[in-house]
Amino acid sequence: MNIREKLSALLVVIGLILALLPLSGNRSLIVKPQKLLSEALDQNTFFTVDQVARFVVSEDSTILLIDLRSPEEFKSFNIPGSVNVPYNQLLDKDPSTFLGAENMKNIFYSNGDFDSNFAAVIAAGLGYKNNYVMKGGLNEWFTTVMNSEFKGEKITARENTLFETRTRAKKLFTDMNSLPDSLKIKFLKAKHFDPKKLDGGCE
Amino acid sequence: MKNRYMNPYLAGTMLGIVLLLAMFISGRGLGASGGIKYCVVSIVGAIDRPHAESSPYYSKYFEDGKKPLKNWLSLEILGLVAGGFISGAISKRLKFKIEKSPKISNTRRLIFAFLGGVFFVYGGQLARGCTSGAALSGMAVLSVAGFVTMMAIFGSAYLFAWFFRNNWI
Amino acid sequence: MGPISSLTVFPEWLDLLIAFLIGTGFGFSLEQAGFSSSRKLAGMFYGYDTTVIKVFFTAAIVALIGSQLLSYFGLLDLTKVFVNEYYVAASIVGGVIMGAGFIMGGFCPGTGLSAMSIGKIDAMVFFIGGLTGAFLFAETYPMIQNLANGYYRGPVKINEALGISPGLFTLLLIVAAVFMFWLSEAAEKRFARPDITEEL
Repeated sequence: MNIREKLSALLVVIGLILALLPLSGNRSLIVKPQKLLSEALDQNTFFTVDQVARFVVSEDSTILLIDLRSPEEFKSFNIPGSVNVPYNQLLDKDPSTFLGAENMKNIFYSNGDFDSNFAAVIAAGLGYKNNYVMKGGLNEWFTTVMNSEFKGEKITARENTLFETRTRAKKLFTDMNSLPDSLKIKFLKAKHFDPKKLDGGCE
Repeated sequence: MKNRYMNPYLAGTMLGIVLLLAMFISGRGLGASGGIKYCVVSIVGAIDRPHAESSPYYSKYFEDGKKPLKNWLSLEILGLVAGGFISGAISKRLKFKIEKSPKISNTRRLIFAFLGGVFFVYGGQLARGCTSGAALSGMAVLSVAGFVTMMAIFGSAYLFAWFFRNNWI
Repeated sequence: MGPISSLTVFPEWLDLLIAFLIGTGFGFSLEQAGFSSSRKLAGMFYGYDTTVIKVFFTAAIVALIGSQLLSYFGLLDLTKVFVNEYYVAASIVGGVIMGAGFIMGGFCPGTGLSAMSIGKIDAMVFFIGGLTGAFLFAETYPMIQNLANGYYRGPVKINEALGISPGLFTLLLIVAAVFMFWLSEAAEKRFARPDITEEL
């Protein structure tokens, strides 16, 4: 009898405390080192700039390009369709809002490879899936896509497709990034996804 | 000399702590009917290996040379038996016995015990867990499946209770 | 920090040993609570012995509170603890079948195993029945797999489905449980059967 009363009182008090605590599904960076290492070594976690160019040109909706540079750099130019999450603010908000979508490929990029590699590792460690890095970053994008030129006499079919994709990506990039600021902001707002939609499956 | 059972609230707390340990160490809850499934799978594998390997149900337990008895759940139910034995030994409750209402015969009790087992584990396989695996562990992780299964079990047991009352009271 | 199994890979023998020890604690608790007696378990459904609901809810709530607190202090990552998946029809139909099995057999698999260990013959027969049931399921699987695999909803959590915080749901559950504890005391007085409870 007495135990029942004591236990019930204790449980109700703890329950009240729990109800008032800001409990959220806190993710922690718990990873088996071997798993993380093998993912880092796996070449499939990289996309080349050509592959990204193809995604962008075909308006592939299963990718999410994440630009890790500062907001100023992002505003001056970015890959069309990307979202800006400055590297130093990566974990400021709940990453689930942009990393949590089940079927989306998260493609990180920055100027080079440094920040994007780290971000992809952190995302994997927190348990998010489908994290990729655009190999070479924007530096490679400029070298390969923006400055792509065809030198030589004949062109193979494969080279032709590559050249076409690069040219279209170059045009899209230039067009989008030279929009006046007001239009750019509108375009970016339209591309800003509703966090609620990303909250995975079951309604 | 009567050996009193532990106060239910204390026993429940102890059980809760065991469950919490399982969650903290192995990242999962408890289970029982799953272990019974593994027993059956390994028996079938031992008696009729070709059938086990060609069946869509059994074959996945033998892929890559896996042994159906070498897993967390199978060892856990072995521990269940050991733990029960230790508790019974400490509390002097070790005794061969058939529990039933005095109004019915031993045979009738055993027939219903057998049928009860058939139904329970069959249903448990369907619902992917029994009272320990789905209901108890499910509630502790706030899963809807656990909650629904628990209500279905208790609700249906109350519904059928009247029909089987003679076996117990 | 937890679950520890997601930090390091346990060597197989250690993983199995841990399972064995946890199972031992499980069986010990069940038997100490008196669940090695089928008549005591069945008492839940006739009112003369409500131990089942007291132990069940206390255990679930203790584990729930413990895990929520550990998670709050960053000691347990709940996203890495298994949450059983919701298959609507299978959960309900399976539960109903299990309820019938419960009242017929007087055991559930966990309690049956702990009862078997102390010599209860009806528990041993229940176990044999259980093996048969699992075998039946395996053999009839092709017929039943649509029911078993249909209406998949994934590992949904109750608080997500209701749109409230886990802490708030825990409080509601505790209040409901306390109410049930008091109700059980009243039921035991109303449906008392000293002839049975003395003997148990």
